[in-house]
Amino acid sequence: MSDHEGHGGAAPGTDDDLSLPKATVAKMIAELLPNDVACAKETRDLVIECCVEFIHLISSEANEICEQESKKTIAPEHIIAALKRLGFETFTEEVEDVLKDHKQQVKEREKKVGKLEASGLTEEELLRQQEELFAASRAKFQSTQQ
Amino acid sequence: MKNKNKQTKFPVARIKRIMQKDEEVGKVAQATPIVISKALELFLGLIIEEANKVTADRGSKKVEAYHLKHAVENVDMLDFLKEIVEAVPDPSAGGTIDLNAESTEKEKKRRGKGKRAEGGGPSAPRKRRRKAGKEEEEEEEGPEPEADNTYDNGNGKQNVDDEEWDG
Repeated sequence: MSDHEGHGGAAPGTDDDLSLPKATVAKMIAELLPNDVACAKETRDLVIECCVEFIHLISSEANEICEQESKKTIAPEHIIAALKRLGFETFTEEVEDVLKDHKQQVKEREKKVGKLEASGLTEEELLRQQEELFAASRAKFQSTQQ
Repeated sequence: MKNKNKQTKFPVARIKRIMQKDEEVGKVAQATPIVISKALELFLGLIIEEANKVTADRGSKKVEAYHLKHAVENVDMLDFLKEIVEAVPDPSAGGTIDLNAESTEKEKKRRGKGKRAEGGGPSAPRKRRRKAGKEEEEEEEGPEPEADNTYDNGNGKQNVDDEEWDG
C-alpha cells in the first residue's frame, strides 16, 4: 500500500524517529481551534508526542485483549475494546462508524471485481482494452500539445 | 480562510509502524490503523479542546505548552500524559531555577562565569543566549534589581562581553 507522506519534515528514516507529520498535525490543530486562536510551535510538538503516546497506550491494551482471545492479529474490535477499558468510551461510537464504513467500502470493492469477472472478458481482453484507452488519451494529449 | 471540513487525516501506514515499534505487538489487521486514526482524531480534538479552555481562561490567544500541561492535570482521561508534560515549566512559578535538569546546568555555567543568579545581582543587559525561549523571556522581563554589588566581579561594572556569547 503506497503511502505518500508528503511533508516538509524529515523522511521516515529510522524507527526511532517515528512520529507524526508536523504539517498534518498543525493543520488539524488549526481546524480545531477557533479562528482567532493560534497554537505555539512548542505546544504542537508536545501534542504530537501525546498522540504517539496514545497510539502506544491503545495498541498495548489492544494487544493484551487480542492475546486473551487467543488471536494473533490485532483486529479493530480489539481497539474498540481497548478504548472502553482505558476510559475512552466516548470515542467508541464514532470509531465503530468508521469501521462500518470501511467494511462497506471493502464490500463494494469486492463487488466491483466481481462485476469485472462477470463481464466475461478475459484478462487479455481487458489488457487490450486498457491499452486502447491509453493510446487514445495519449493521442489526445499529444494533439493538445501542438 | 480556514477549512473546517476536517479532511486532513493521519497517515495510516505511519500509525501501523508506530504500533509495531512495540515489540509485543505482532500482526495488525488492515482496518486496525484506520480505526486508530479515527480514535486519534478524537483524542486530538479532546486535548486541543481542553488546552484551549485553559488558554481562554487566561485570556490568551495562543495555546502555550503550559496550557496543555494544565489540561492534562485537569482531565482524568489524560492521566497517562502526565510524564510527557512534566518537564513543561509553569511561568507563574516565578523563576526557572532548578525546575529541571537542563536549566540547572545552564545556571551552573552562568554562575561559573559571572557569578550571577537569575533575577539577582546586577542584571546583565539583554543577550542572546543559546537557551530555551522561556528562560530568555524571564531575563528580559526581570526588573533591574537594586545595585547590589555582591555578585559582580568586584568592579561594579556590568560585564557585557564576559558572558557566554554564542553569537
